[in-house]
Amino acid sequence: MAFTEGFISELVGRRVTVNEIPIGKVSDFLVNKPDDVFPRIDGLVIKTSQGPRFAPIESIATIDPHGTVQLTMTPAEPAPPAESALLLIADLLDKQIVDVDGRKVVRINDLEIARAGDALRVVAADVGVAGLLRRLGLKSFGKRFTPAIYRRIPRSMIAWDSVAPIRDANPTQVNLSVTESKLARLHPSELAEIIGDLSAREAAAVVSQLDDETAADAFEHLDAETQRTLIEDIGTERAADIIEEMDADDAADLLSELDEEQQHELLSEMNEYTASELRALVKYAEDSAGGLMTTDYTWIYPHRTAEATIRKIREIAPTSEFIYYLYVVDKQDMLLGVLTLRALLLADPQASIDSVMETDLVTIHPDMASEDVAATIARYDLLAVPVVDQHGKMLGIVTVDDAIDAIMPEEIARKLPKFTAHRRTQYPGASVAG
Amino acid sequence: MQASQASADTPAQPLRRRSLWRTLLLFFAVLGPGFVTASAGNDVGGIATYSSAGAQFGYDILWLMIPLAVALVVVQEMSARMGCVTGKGLAALIREGFGVRISVFAMLVLFLINTLITSTEFAGIAAASEHFGISRYIGVPLALVAVFLFVLRFNSKIVERVFVIFSLIYLSYIVSAVLAHPDWHQVVTGTFIPHFEFREAGWLAMVVTVIGTTISPYMQFFLQSQVVEKGSRTEDLTFTRIDVTNGSILAIALAGFMIIANAATIFIANQHGAKLNPQTAMDFAVALKPLAGDAAALIFALGILNAGLFTATVLPLSTSYIVCEALGFEAAIDRRFSEAPVFFMLFAAGLLLGAGFVLIPNLPLLQFILFAQLLQGVLLPFELVLMLIIINRKSVMGPHTNGPLANGIAWTTAIVIGVLSLVYVVGQFIPQLLGA
Repeated sequence: MAFTEGFISELVGRRVTVNEIPIGKVSDFLVNKPDDVFPRIDGLVIKTSQGPRFAPIESIATIDPHGTVQLTMTPAEPAPPAESALLLIADLLDKQIVDVDGRKVVRINDLEIARAGDALRVVAADVGVAGLLRRLGLKSFGKRFTPAIYRRIPRSMIAWDSVAPIRDANPTQVNLSVTESKLARLHPSELAEIIGDLSAREAAAVVSQLDDETAADAFEHLDAETQRTLIEDIGTERAADIIEEMDADDAADLLSELDEEQQHELLSEMNEYTASELRALVKYAEDSAGGLMTTDYTWIYPHRTAEATIRKIREIAPTSEFIYYLYVVDKQDMLLGVLTLRALLLADPQASIDSVMETDLVTIHPDMASEDVAATIARYDLLAVPVVDQHGKMLGIVTVDDAIDAIMPEEIARKLPKFTAHRRTQYPGASVAG
Repeated sequence: MQASQASADTPAQPLRRRSLWRTLLLFFAVLGPGFVTASAGNDVGGIATYSSAGAQFGYDILWLMIPLAVALVVVQEMSARMGCVTGKGLAALIREGFGVRISVFAMLVLFLINTLITSTEFAGIAAASEHFGISRYIGVPLALVAVFLFVLRFNSKIVERVFVIFSLIYLSYIVSAVLAHPDWHQVVTGTFIPHFEFREAGWLAMVVTVIGTTISPYMQFFLQSQVVEKGSRTEDLTFTRIDVTNGSILAIALAGFMIIANAATIFIANQHGAKLNPQTAMDFAVALKPLAGDAAALIFALGILNAGLFTATVLPLSTSYIVCEALGFEAAIDRRFSEAPVFFMLFAAGLLLGAGFVLIPNLPLLQFILFAQLLQGVLLPFELVLMLIIINRKSVMGPHTNGPLANGIAWTTAIVIGVLSLVYVVGQFIPQLLGA
């Protein structure tokens, strides 16, 4: 096999011979295990006068990138049905994918395959202009007449381990379960950005591939309109699972955007504790302290020792959103004082919490406007501010990041740079498993 | 209380904002395809075309709107159905169904024709600005700046207002048509009795032009994108169908009244010996006289200015998105240039070429506007054939492929327009064929 690497657009349509006798042309490439990091090509689909035939990869004597494909035996098997395996040309070429590395949605213009050991594997997707020109048959033309320009055309290859195909809504499409782990590598805000770039149907397809927690993180970064259409597309049950995993304040914001019937349906699917917490939060106006606050704060009792409290924090910290301020409350949830995590660590292990806590408190009421909440946080240099009712009963906290989000003008939020990593232009050949 | 030294584990991330393109699509989706069809068909080119048709051929050309209504409903329904069933735009379906070569070619043609149409919008703006005594060499660049600012600082409220004023001009045609006391007997016979004038100079060209402006190829792309953006699904098909039918009939009715208003004023006056020979778009303002009297020219100028600005904003933007959708380039107006270079270059090129074209000295604006619409008519069959092939594929549409009725009407439409265009184009080269 002289073939080492090449593009499928250059191989498709090549003449296929057995013992020098032409029998047909290459029409597609079959992959049985698309979930592999660099999937192995298991055979060719050959268009013959008797219809499509399947030639297992072992029967290929030579693939000459400039000549013909020679087989050791005449392929007898008919081509397998479309839904049993992945066909590179029918199922992937020209389709949309998420480039996990470059964090955008692009289309596959061409696929690069390479020899690794005994196998031919898919190693990269070409999503750039060079791929388009190759498909147009303009490659040699470009090289000959405009070499200076041709060389400057960026080669936009995405290594296959960064490619997450978007599963089609079309039921005949092959199920590409591989995408799950790849998409989860993205930061939630980037995932949200990609979801926002997709049409409603594609977005739902992407969300359906995520686990609840990843989906919840991404949901927190989506705008209300996209959240609403997504919930309709993924169904109440799944939506409830995702909302349960969201931060309470974001979940409440989302619910408050829905009509009452939908709210009720979603809440009834959740566990009783989360549901009652969310019911309380949904009441507040979105641009008030109540709308911004989360009930996921860390509270401690005043009579415990510092040592015992640290033990307790260690237990609950993994599931808590915010542990840097510890709110000291009594059995009736009345706010008595605050302790920073730092103060707790530095305190004498035997000292009781009420002797080391700060009692000169900055608190706000749930109806305070979000601008005033942000101003309060800024003035006192806080990471979070507690929200209490008129009796001093603890309701929740507003954290600094939520306060910033609430007051940041839309233009600024939109113009923030995307923190795009340098695009990989080459794939690590060494990682191609043999 | 001191802030602790620990920092939050995730930095505050800005909420993802909906991009301008999606906001626009959703805005239109809420209005329904009815308004969009009316707006896409009745831009500057639409006003000029229907006015010319009425002024030149009177009530006798009205019958054309009946078969056009049927064709428009069928074609629009096909677009909407493809959007509902596949969840993808037409450009994406063409790319996935036909590969790179046909997509690149189709997108190139779409870009060129849409740039030409953008240019006709600026031609309308030029005509309006000259009515107000401002040279087109000042008016058009000013409009260009306005469009750029508008896109960069997009505001749905303004779009909404512009849109309402925009719609008012069409309604004024209905009133004006009635106040002009047309001969209703002639209107009815003109509408229901087909009337061919193959021998009359310009008749065939006018027919293709009216078809091209009523079923603009770009409208199918836009409508399907809207349906997809709205998230309509197969279950919503019935509702979408009703919506599309209403919209098409509304668009046709508005066009009909525009023809009647012009027929009742300009065409009839010419019958009685007047020599009204519209040379610029502004000359069609006469058709609004029965309603507005001396203010007719003012209303007309404001109307085409509004229509021109509006479509000149939407068209280059949507064209760039559609081309990028098909070819797989990153597209978003709210990104930086380096993140979506192709998109920005297409957008800027479409706008600048569009505006620049009408600044060619001595360009006859009205003829230019009508020619662009004619070209749309000539290109329409190609688009229809692509749509018909896709919509009849079971692998794409499942059980929702075209039925025999839709196929019959759509293929007939494509073939009839194709033959008419061919006869027209051939006739241009061999004039004696038609002139004999």
